[in-house]
Amino acid sequence: MNPTPEQIQKINHFSKVHIDMCAKIASVVDIEECEPKEQLLTEGDTGDTMVLVFQGQVEVSKNMMVKTASGFATSRKPIIRLETTDPRPAADPETEPTVFVVEAPAFGIGEFSLVLDNAIRTAHVNATTPLKYGILSLEDFTNIVKDNPEIGGSVYFEVAKSAVNNLATASGDISNLTQAFFFALTR
Amino acid sequence: MNTEAPFDQDLDKEVTSTELDEVLDANKDLYNQLNQIPEIEAIEAISIEEDIASESEKESNPLSEFFSRVQGFYNDNELVRYASWALVLILLSTTALTILEYDMFYNDVIADVDGSFTFGNTEPNWLDTFFHTFWWSIVTFTTVGYGDVSPVTHLGKFLTIIIMLLNFGVVTLLGGAVASVLVAQRLTGDDTLDENKFEGHLVIAGWNKTVPSILNLIDSNKDSTSVIILVNETDKDIIQRAIAGYERLDITHIPENFTNESVLRKAFLDKAGTFMILPDNSGLLPHEDPDEDKTVLTCLTAKSISEACNVIAHVLDVENVSHLQRANANEIVIPDEHVPHLLAKHVTDPGVPQFFDDLILQEEEDKGLQEVRIPKTLSGQTHNKISAFYKFKYGWLLVGYAIRKAGFSLDEQMGESGSPLIRNMIKEQLDGAGINLTSDEHVIVEINPADDYKIDEKHSALVLR
Repeated sequence: MNPTPEQIQKINHFSKVHIDMCAKIASVVDIEECEPKEQLLTEGDTGDTMVLVFQGQVEVSKNMMVKTASGFATSRKPIIRLETTDPRPAADPETEPTVFVVEAPAFGIGEFSLVLDNAIRTAHVNATTPLKYGILSLEDFTNIVKDNPEIGGSVYFEVAKSAVNNLATASGDISNLTQAFFFALTR
Repeated sequence: MNTEAPFDQDLDKEVTSTELDEVLDANKDLYNQLNQIPEIEAIEAISIEEDIASESEKESNPLSEFFSRVQGFYNDNELVRYASWALVLILLSTTALTILEYDMFYNDVIADVDGSFTFGNTEPNWLDTFFHTFWWSIVTFTTVGYGDVSPVTHLGKFLTIIIMLLNFGVVTLLGGAVASVLVAQRLTGDDTLDENKFEGHLVIAGWNKTVPSILNLIDSNKDSTSVIILVNETDKDIIQRAIAGYERLDITHIPENFTNESVLRKAFLDKAGTFMILPDNSGLLPHEDPDEDKTVLTCLTAKSISEACNVIAHVLDVENVSHLQRANANEIVIPDEHVPHLLAKHVTDPGVPQFFDDLILQEEEDKGLQEVRIPKTLSGQTHNKISAFYKFKYGWLLVGYAIRKAGFSLDEQMGESGSPLIRNMIKEQLDGAGINLTSDEHVIVEINPADDYKIDEKHSALVLR
């Protein structure tokens, strides 16, 4: 079953795309369902698909090297949880307070795949509630953009915005890590 | 620092009396203006209120405090523990024997007391019998054994056998505890320190000829702490002679090795305000130099006990400064640091070295250069007003400020930049490695700042009294 054009338009990246164009995108996406704990994306994998989440909550996590009592170990650390608000998740979402939750009517994950061929996944994504989602492939999207170039401008702008934000955060992280490194060296 | 043109550039200019009057009037206006600040009038009352508030905070429920003290005394004192259990045992055996041998003890009371002393009116009651049995218990426990009373039934005798065997153990333990306490006191010279008076006190580790002068100066400043603990292995008699004669100071001597953590804990370093580490001449011959590694080691130990304690280290060898900085010493004092400066000043500015000597060596009570707390209500005022306040109210000359600067805080430095995940991970990992996220608070000075220099609560005044 395809999503409705309105469902597509709820996703931030497509919010400025005309509803008729959203219908074209909806026509190449199938709604799928999965259970909690199912892994949608794996860190380090390459892919050319964007995941569009229409209902439910997902957790984004990364593998981190941490020091434990028994030495160094790789541990998966949750970074953020994304939760739909229209509609709300079908089951109670995770509410553990240490992880930040971002709410949106619907959202897309892996948006860089709409630009890059075989983009590397930078984090794991797991469902934490029953999930309704769709997959938009780079090939399908590129074909739509070829036929309707006006879609590209607004979507690529949102993807670029997201990339710039990530770059600013990464720059802050490098600065913090450098400071922490020198701080630790001088103690 | 004041950045106005040097004073000698203005020397050649003629100053008219009108100009002088103008300057004086401006100052007068400033004083009058200051006097109109309502807070100034209220300062005394506020200071008193603050003192009362801080005292009332210290008060707590006296009953719970009493019980916690008794509990602490019981836990800390082996002798009290054994004595308490011996008493419980005596009371238990007395109760048991009173019940088992009631008839025998009852008849004994009648025979012994003969009506002269009874809790009952005409004949002994259970209390008389219990007291009589208690007498028997004490006589047995203390191994005196008068033999005036003894159990009759088999059960009573059996119980007495158990009591006598138990008594053997208790008396032995009690005797052993008394002996161990006496031996411990003999070995450590421990006159158990009263924990309550040690809060914000000064601990001085090490002994050399500068210590009496340090004590003299502290003694003459009434605002500084009066409770001091000296930790060093110098002969007790030498210390006693050196610390006699201070009226204000309450000095305790711990004759042990100050590099040991347990010894520093005994000096309540966790509650100390300042910890001073000096080159230790204890047990050295006149030509021998003190071991300064001890100073670095002690600084590390002190900081592991209390990160907040203000550690002042005095070193003779400049090489040790970097080690002490790494060990987080708050202030490091190096001898002869000012000598080249003083010598040069004898040539360039005669009078300055003499002034410096007078200022530093001033030992008269409450005189000389001192650091005083600025009333909270004056926080936010400018330097000229603070200066006028001290001059106007106390006749002191404000020469500058000591400013407590918070150390570098990695947490503050990182702020909200980057992802929270990375920030939390940095904090967790550094915390796990035992690295504190903030460096220590330290003091910097601001001498004779510009008139509009603003004062905050981190400032305290350096005044010449």
